[in-house]
Amino acid sequence: MNLLDVKNLSIRLTTSLDEILVVDRVSLTLKEGEFRGLVGESGSGKSIFAQALFWLLDDKWTISADRFHWQGQDLLRLPIEERKKIITKDVAMIFQEPMSCLDPTTTIGYQIEEALDDSEFSGFFWQRAKQRKQAAVKLLHKVGIKQHSICINSYPHQLTNALCQRVMIAIALAKRPKLLIADEPTAAMETTNQGQIFRLLSSLNQLKNMSILLISHELEKISHWTDRLTVMYSGQFVEAGTTEQIFKTPFHPYTKALLSSSPKLSKHLAKKTRLETLPGTIPVLQHLPIGCRLGPRCPNAQKHCVTAPQIRNFQGHLVSCHFSHRRDY
Amino acid sequence: MLYFTLRRLYLLSFTLLMLSIVSFSLSYLFPGDIIVNLSGITNPTLEQRIELNALYKMDDSVFHQYFAYIKQVVNGNLGISMFNNAPIVDEMNTYLPATIELCVTALFIATIFGVTLGFIAAIFHNKWIDKIILAFAMIGYSIPAFWLALILIVIFSILLSWFPSSGQINLLFDVKEVTSFIFIDIWFSDIDDKWLAFQDALRHIFLPAITVAVTPMTIFIRLSRTSMLNVLDSNYIKAARAKGLSNVKIIYHHGIRNALVQIIRQMGMHFAHLVSVVMIAEVVFDWQGIGSWLINSIFQRDYTAIQGGLIAMATFTFLINIFADILYVTLNPIERYKRHGA
Repeated sequence: MNLLDVKNLSIRLTTSLDEILVVDRVSLTLKEGEFRGLVGESGSGKSIFAQALFWLLDDKWTISADRFHWQGQDLLRLPIEERKKIITKDVAMIFQEPMSCLDPTTTIGYQIEEALDDSEFSGFFWQRAKQRKQAAVKLLHKVGIKQHSICINSYPHQLTNALCQRVMIAIALAKRPKLLIADEPTAAMETTNQGQIFRLLSSLNQLKNMSILLISHELEKISHWTDRLTVMYSGQFVEAGTTEQIFKTPFHPYTKALLSSSPKLSKHLAKKTRLETLPGTIPVLQHLPIGCRLGPRCPNAQKHCVTAPQIRNFQGHLVSCHFSHRRDY
Repeated sequence: MLYFTLRRLYLLSFTLLMLSIVSFSLSYLFPGDIIVNLSGITNPTLEQRIELNALYKMDDSVFHQYFAYIKQVVNGNLGISMFNNAPIVDEMNTYLPATIELCVTALFIATIFGVTLGFIAAIFHNKWIDKIILAFAMIGYSIPAFWLALILIVIFSILLSWFPSSGQINLLFDVKEVTSFIFIDIWFSDIDDKWLAFQDALRHIFLPAITVAVTPMTIFIRLSRTSMLNVLDSNYIKAARAKGLSNVKIIYHHGIRNALVQIIRQMGMHFAHLVSVVMIAEVVFDWQGIGSWLINSIFQRDYTAIQGGLIAMATFTFLINIFADILYVTLNPIERYKRHGA
């Protein structure tokens, strides 16, 4: 059964001037125990998409979807407070800049204990307090923090960014979530720390069968860990498939360009040669092209591209393009 | 923490040094004889003049004179009043406590109501309650204190006769002056109906305290509203929402303290503003405090009193500021603890 099944989720940003379609009909299906990557350039709407899954956005944003199923339950039929309750019970989220996501004036220990479910403890309040503390320590051990007593009494600013992210993961694990959404968890982190965080996420995925939705702009870095990848461009769905499909046989011109833009060790590059790029830049939100938003930059673009393409499925390899590279392979 | 306190005290000593230089130079800048300005003895006899010249080292350089003056100030000799020949220090002992009482009460009212209303406005951002509170803050900020004082007297003393319009306590209560803090005096006095006296003193302080509190309160409303809005917009509140915490819990555990930390310093800054309003309110309500005393001294060209009042008021304001700073540090762990390994 699909854990999460979202079809054609659109997000509009209402400004004083006009309405902007920030995310345009993006679909996402997650299976249980899947390690999914969601990649796209900065500003492609991946973070907004993830926050919309939580209904964390404020009044400026309006979310609409054709289908939003969580474990087979249709959440769109429920009032928004109920939806939030169901989602926050089973889904946890970790953010980029972990230090800013922890309350600076409260100790780490308190913030972890706060996330614990009260019904798991029994006895008088002092017994429960003790159990809470033990549970918090256990969570810290799970994410690989051994010096728990120092950590619990520390404030966020006293820890490094990587440690804060581990604490965030510990807080996320407190609810035993079925799905963990990681929104660029390793941004602004050193490479060794990045590796540790990814390994931790991967081990949680394998040992606890926890699904992970990993959002990142670094395609190369996360492809080592993910089972499947979804690619977004400028708020539109581009392509989805297994990591291998995406890397070996990219159907969409954007994915193809994205892959060829990254330097490879096997390919000998002469000194100071330019890497392959698409012409132009990402469109700004105020001036989005109609139809396929890659249109003006796309090498395959033709007249037909001013109408948005339908998503087509080729044995689990989804692509949204009129003139895909499917026949090339 | 200790380091921080020491640094604040260091700052205090420098500010006091500057203050004393200003106060000393006033005796040169005021018209008239320098020795008269310093001591407050108008028309001194020859013997007195010789004595004072020796005391303030008038024959030495200005530098020595300054240190002689500091020595006198430190020993509690601020001269005598030119107006009624009473020692300035004694005058201040009677008047300063009343002012401190009024200031602290007003600050208390302003903080409690200002911060609460500000937080409520922020929590219900862009709702009608937010707009009402903002409108109230705007009106309160625009009303001049002396006018508000008169209006309050007209409504509450004359029309409704709920609160007395002047003084600190009814003369029927024979409270002996010990500390000059009226509430403390009532507590330690041996009169029979302490509770009645206490109530009476409360009724007397009500109108002046409200008058003084309105302007700072409106400032606090705006400060705390902005600060709470910033906090509610921050990542850690978003993360707390993702944790599934309820709104009440989020505001109680994560909102209030973070918002308070941001405003406490600014509240200390606005205390100076409050003190200047206190001086006006004291005159209107005939409050026997240092503000009305100082304004009277200015009218009477009582230079020694002006100097002394300046030192007292400024020191009081600095102390409150430093107190706010220390409170800020105790509330804010970012200032208190160093990073591990840093």
